[in-house]
Amino acid sequence: MMKELRFALYATKKNIQGSAELRTSFLTNIAGMAINNTAFIIIWVFFVKSVGVVNGWTSADIIGLLGFGTLSFGVVFSAAAGIRKLADYVANGRFDHFMLSPKNLLVRIATSSFNASGVGDIIFGIACLTTYALLIHASIYQVLLIVLLIAISTIMFLSIAVAIYSVSFLFTDANPVTSGLFELFFTPSIFHGGAFHGVTRVIFTFIVPSLVVGALPVEIVRNISLEKLLLVSVLSFVWFFVSLKLFSMGVKKYESSNFMTFGG
Amino acid sequence: MKAIRLAHKILRTLVRDRMYYPGRLLIDTFSIVARCGVLLVLYWYVFRLNNGIINNTTFIVAAWSMFFYFAFSVFRLRDISRAIMQDVQSGNIEVLFSKPISYLSYRMWWQVGEGLYPFLVISFFGAIILASIVGIPATMSTYVFIPTLVLVFLFGAILSLALYATVGLLAFWIEDVSPLFWIVDKAVMILGGSYLPVALFPNFMYKIALYSPFGASQFITHTVYGAWAIEWPVKIGIQIFWTFVFVIVVSILFAKARKKVSVNGG
Repeated sequence: MMKELRFALYATKKNIQGSAELRTSFLTNIAGMAINNTAFIIIWVFFVKSVGVVNGWTSADIIGLLGFGTLSFGVVFSAAAGIRKLADYVANGRFDHFMLSPKNLLVRIATSSFNASGVGDIIFGIACLTTYALLIHASIYQVLLIVLLIAISTIMFLSIAVAIYSVSFLFTDANPVTSGLFELFFTPSIFHGGAFHGVTRVIFTFIVPSLVVGALPVEIVRNISLEKLLLVSVLSFVWFFVSLKLFSMGVKKYESSNFMTFGG
Repeated sequence: MKAIRLAHKILRTLVRDRMYYPGRLLIDTFSIVARCGVLLVLYWYVFRLNNGIINNTTFIVAAWSMFFYFAFSVFRLRDISRAIMQDVQSGNIEVLFSKPISYLSYRMWWQVGEGLYPFLVISFFGAIILASIVGIPATMSTYVFIPTLVLVFLFGAILSLALYATVGLLAFWIEDVSPLFWIVDKAVMILGGSYLPVALFPNFMYKIALYSPFGASQFITHTVYGAWAIEWPVKIGIQIFWTFVFVIVVSILFAKARKKVSVNGG
């Protein structure tokens, strides 16, 4: 386990160094993504101004929601950007190279690529959560909860990403399918959390766990709700093991494309 | 004549291609349900909490306005930026430049062809489903609605293509235009009335949406509001103005980009 973690950190370090070689592109990607994310704050803050507070959700909560959402997105899709390329790897036969690697297959695939714009998401996410903590005058318990929930929502995000991209093994060109499924999961996760109630809340917590990434963590911090903390922790770990199982089932289904290529 | 034949050929080929893979249509439907469907549920609840009216706007009007935005987005005209950037980065641009066709019109027709089939199918069935669930606003039954909707759609499509092609052509100078694309795309998303319908905009934001090219490219979302019957000549005028400006900008940029390309052979 530690050996794999060390390898993941080493691969990420090398990926960052490789990406930072093109300095201008690296920096503009980071800055561009941070500006891009600001759009969602503008939209939802004006929404709250026009519509008013819905189910106790204020503008500060929206900032917190975007903080959790973009930070987990940024961590997963910068350091583990290879997951998003799984459909391409399966389609073009490059997956064979990974299977021959003595390292853990999932770690090797996840760390095969680095996305600089994800760093912009991380910076934006940290800025949002810091602002959120200041706006709600967070106590030390709430700050600790925020730190803990960042880890939980990142595990949930990683698990769902692995589960969704494992679908790549079932189709010849899975890219449209995986992007459709990912959108179905991610779009509600950055929606105004106060609007999910009744059936929609149940669906987007237990079936498509979008609320576990952003809305529920915000409610846990705001209300210091230990029941909800337990719920998101359990859901995250359940999804983590389910995603690993789905990935290994997918790998077993994989048939080599037998491309006669070398290296790459 | 040659240009019309090229357009016809591209459209026919791509529409047939899309029809051959119904799975892709399913994914587009998935995508619009994920974004627009969830958003409509959200607004339905919010309007109910506010006794059915926010800023003198009813849920029916807001729902149709957002539906028009998302149906238009299925056309994926914005993808022209990435297509041009990929042509430049991969070097494919020199192959396309050497062909006896206009590169820009080829790319634009290609983009239209790619999105035409899902746009028609999803808009048609989406409109029927939405009409049967929430009903039709009174403004949609006025005599100016259909002709102005067609006009605003056509100019919106041309303006979107020109706007995003301008971003794409910058790849000749800055290679990776993704950050610029994100900013333009989000400006269109905010000012077009995607997640927040234009009727709920604060006054200053509404003015930016009205007079900027980003908002003008999505005037289709304005067609369902009561004021459309009076304001449509001004809004279509603004749209024509920006279309004209961006067609000129894109032509100048393209002429400069052509001079910048050096074919090294291989």
